[in-house]
Amino acid sequence: MYGLQIAPQALVCKNTIIEGDIQIGNGTVVHVGASIIAKNGPIIIGSNNIICERATIINNHNIPLVIGDDNLFETDALVGGCGIGHRNIVQVRGKVYGSCVVGNNCVVGAACTTEPSDNIPDNTVLFGSPQARRTRADGNTDHIAMHRKHLEYIHEMLPRYNHIVEAD
Amino acid sequence: MGGGEGEGTAKATVLYYCPCTNSMHAQAPAEEKPSDRKKKRTDSSDSETDTSEEEDEDEEKQVTAPLDPSSATHMNRLLPLRASLIECLYYCDDCSELRCTRCVIEEPAGYHCPNCLFDVPTASVRGEKNCCARNCFQCPACTHVLSVVEGDRRQNDKACFVLACSVCLWNSAEIEWTFEKATGISAQIERMREANGCHKEFTNLLNHWRTVQRASAATVSNTTAAHAHGSVTAAAGGAFKHRLGGSAAAASSSGMHSLRRAAASAESTSVPEYTAACYAGEEGRQHLDRLMSLKSADYVPYTTSPLVSEPQRVQLHMKVARRCRQCHHILIKPESKAQATRFKIQLMAANFLPTITVPATLNLQKALAGHGSRKRTVVLPCGPFTPGETLPLALRFSNPLYTEMHVVVEAPSSSSTFAHIDVMAPRFMLPPFTELWEYDDDDDSDGASDKSGASASTRGILDRQGNRVAIQINIVPLAETSTLKIPLRVTCSHVDDMDVNADGSQSTEQRRAVKNSFWVYVILGE
Repeated sequence: MYGLQIAPQALVCKNTIIEGDIQIGNGTVVHVGASIIAKNGPIIIGSNNIICERATIINNHNIPLVIGDDNLFETDALVGGCGIGHRNIVQVRGKVYGSCVVGNNCVVGAACTTEPSDNIPDNTVLFGSPQARRTRADGNTDHIAMHRKHLEYIHEMLPRYNHIVEAD
Repeated sequence: MGGGEGEGTAKATVLYYCPCTNSMHAQAPAEEKPSDRKKKRTDSSDSETDTSEEEDEDEEKQVTAPLDPSSATHMNRLLPLRASLIECLYYCDDCSELRCTRCVIEEPAGYHCPNCLFDVPTASVRGEKNCCARNCFQCPACTHVLSVVEGDRRQNDKACFVLACSVCLWNSAEIEWTFEKATGISAQIERMREANGCHKEFTNLLNHWRTVQRASAATVSNTTAAHAHGSVTAAAGGAFKHRLGGSAAAASSSGMHSLRRAAASAESTSVPEYTAACYAGEEGRQHLDRLMSLKSADYVPYTTSPLVSEPQRVQLHMKVARRCRQCHHILIKPESKAQATRFKIQLMAANFLPTITVPATLNLQKALAGHGSRKRTVVLPCGPFTPGETLPLALRFSNPLYTEMHVVVEAPSSSSTFAHIDVMAPRFMLPPFTELWEYDDDDDSDGASDKSGASASTRGILDRQGNRVAIQINIVPLAETSTLKIPLRVTCSHVDDMDVNADGSQSTEQRRAVKNSFWVYVILGE
């Protein structure tokens, strides 16, 4: 896999920094100003993700960085690490560093960071300063409905005001 | 911005000394007896008391205040307690004196919830135990404020509400707290708690205790013997009386005695025997045994978790008004509305007394610098200070009043052990503050007034700008130190133009001359 491959329903804006071998799944939205840099290894992004402005997804490892479905990467988030699961939220200025693996249904709170070589299990919430973490209730997927509505809205409004990269 | 050596930034602070002693006397030395003050001093070397006594017996024009703020013990030990920045000090208009945070009386001026900003009336503060009565709760995991959201699961087709935290995503459904209505959460919590056996038992015990108290207060017996075990309960009873409230009014000072009598005459009172509300019978006893026994109380950790597991109600904040301790004049009065940050009455020291600052560098005006000195700038000296070296220091006085102020600066006559101080300009006038100065950037607007005064009177005055005057003070350190504390006595006087009687008639204009004397400490170095 070489270069940028965009699935048919994905929305990738033109003023983004996308470098390297990147595969973007169905329905994923990449906002203006986001950066996806596959420096040393490829990045595989799943479906229905939302990557907000100034978010950075960077792969410094040789192995592919796999990002699951239904994730939300808010403004100025930094996603490094070795893998992200499904239905996660990385809030504003949250950072996932190093060789960290994030499970499913997690929330990395605003301005919270992960330890460089930490594995974050499912259903974890990182919050606060000094940072603490706790587990949220299993199966609490209230935010999925919100996520779907968010996606629908973006798919409708974004092409009206931004230039979109044509999918293959 | 230090000297040429590059030793780091030089810092200087100016602290104002508030002479609030135990007796709260005025500053004039003639009124006070030196012997009284010596007894109040916790530690004082004999030599210093002797010198201050001698000086106090001298004429009243002596510079030293009764407590001699320029003495070494004073500067070392009492300075942090009694001297503060001018921003932290108040000024009583009636007494015409400086007041610090320790010589004011604080009183509450309103209670409000910090979350919902609801002004709580004083009467209901006590009833709600100083907590917000509305839906303000703290998350037990992260202490953020909880919000009421609609719960996802609908049990029996009933919409339920839960308390949720937006920071850590904690949900009150985790402790099985669901509510039927979105308002009146605390009432619903009370109802849930009452269903729980422990709380029911506790309230029952409390009611029984109240009846015992009332009965013991009513009985009047003349037993003088104090039972040994009764003293312990008496002490506990005394502590609890404040909490129980109403029933304590009947027995005020005789509370201790009445409890001892109650222990002695337990059978004679008409208090019925205690019956447990729940956990009665064999089943209840087994339940209690399963929970915990008295022997295992030693092994229970003091706190099971860092935070309590239930949401706590948000504590109320209090707005404080401050009064002068002597004349009870209000110094600070905030607006009682929670959202308002302003003050109805705000008598701050900076609005009445000159603000003294130490500029880091001062560029001398050309007119004043041409008096034989070649230096055009006066730089703030930074430590360490070597003895014998004359350091010029610039002090800038700023007049906050709308009237002219006459300032006299004196160094302490008993030369302190740290430095020899020479005030170059002991007396000067501070022009009044006019708003026009803020719009006028003209620096040499005061050039005309300078030339009117004789050149001798401007000696020592470095700079005049608007309502500010900078003077020079020469310091010769006597020992090698990294910090220098320089005491100065400042006396400022002005004539108050205001109509004292406020009759509204211009003819009976009474002018009162106000004179303030206070000690100021200039601290140089780190």
